[in-house]
Amino acid sequence: MLNYPANIYRQAMVILDSSSRLPDISVPPYAQTRQILSATGSMDDVMPGTETLILRTTFSSVPVIWESELRQQEYQELGAALSEMTKLEEGDEWKIDPPVYNAACYVAAGLMAHSFPAPRIFNHGTKSVVFNWSYGADNMYLTISADHISALISSPERIKRRVEYSVNELTDPSVALLSIRAAYLKKPVKRLVTGAVSDPTEFVG
Amino acid sequence: MKCGGHIPDGDSLFRQSVHPVSFKGRAFAWEKCLMLYDQNDGALLASLTWDRYVPTEELIHAYGCRLAFRRNEKKRIEGKLKDKSRQVSCGAYQLKGKAIRDLQAKDGLEEILSADVVHRVEEGEIAHTDLRIIFKPGSVSNIEGTKTAIVDRLWSKCSGPLRHICDCDKGMADHPSSSLTTAPAGDYSDTRSYWFRLWCIVRFHICHWLWRNNFWH
Repeated sequence: MLNYPANIYRQAMVILDSSSRLPDISVPPYAQTRQILSATGSMDDVMPGTETLILRTTFSSVPVIWESELRQQEYQELGAALSEMTKLEEGDEWKIDPPVYNAACYVAAGLMAHSFPAPRIFNHGTKSVVFNWSYGADNMYLTISADHISALISSPERIKRRVEYSVNELTDPSVALLSIRAAYLKKPVKRLVTGAVSDPTEFVG
Repeated sequence: MKCGGHIPDGDSLFRQSVHPVSFKGRAFAWEKCLMLYDQNDGALLASLTWDRYVPTEELIHAYGCRLAFRRNEKKRIEGKLKDKSRQVSCGAYQLKGKAIRDLQAKDGLEEILSADVVHRVEEGEIAHTDLRIIFKPGSVSNIEGTKTAIVDRLWSKCSGPLRHICDCDKGMADHPSSSLTTAPAGDYSDTRSYWFRLWCIVRFHICHWLWRNNFWH
């Protein structure tokens, strides 16, 4: 079994996306946090970008973190979990084969580079690992084996889309990932099996 | 009155949830609750429990407790039983027979030739059934991706959980059954009328007696 922390504590955190700017650029993101209050003093009224924001107090207990840093951290944890899965004893339900680990790391690096949020992971056995995201009621899965990726998008009612990628396409995962991202934008149901690398629009349908 | 044979579409089937197999650390992992195993002929296989032979919640849970006990005994005999890998039955989720048979009609799962659940007594468990999925020859380009799609569809039809703590686990400080999450089809509800439920219990006892005395297998 994977070793997960026994205790989990809540920690408030301010997350800034790439379009955010800190009020004082001389302050490093981790060093200090500024509490942002509206003219009425209510945190509920905070509207980034409006002119009524007033910086009044600072406190150091709430870290500020850039979204990209957080994602990087989540992907580091994902990498550690995948690595641990290769080291489990034979017969453990969570064990994966080293070639699956290599393929999963390769895909994870591509996902991070394309700003996908870090996925949840599970497996069906040693021959694959599955990345999973929830998007409202929908689910998206990437089933990664040593030489294939299968993408699946489903709603509670039906399978919305399945796309299979051959080993050739793994040589350039960005092509596959861009098509998956496009497929995630609720296009019509279609199951496609692709061969060689081609323009992603051809297999997004 | 029939004891074995065809499992009707409307009958309930139960999938046992056992810690640590269907958990990721302390968190329940529904994706691991419905494990599909590769067969030599290319089919996929999973085990479920038929409500004809577990007509009450007490019997459903007794099955789960025996399952965990058997697995632990097997490990103990092999000298591989460790505290962290000790099997703990946490409860079960329900599926209808129709949800399984409908898999072959699903858009997006065209590679399935047949999906069925058949009664097969295993390890002395009269309620055991095989969920068996057979594929059209040459239609599966990546069986691992197909497994994901099947697990996703089956889980979407599950209801539950029916949580339970076996007698042997009552001393556990933090029993993992509390981590089971509600299935997409909502909480389990036994919709059988009082009289039908009573008939199911009587039928179970008659069939079980007949089976134990070798009148049918």
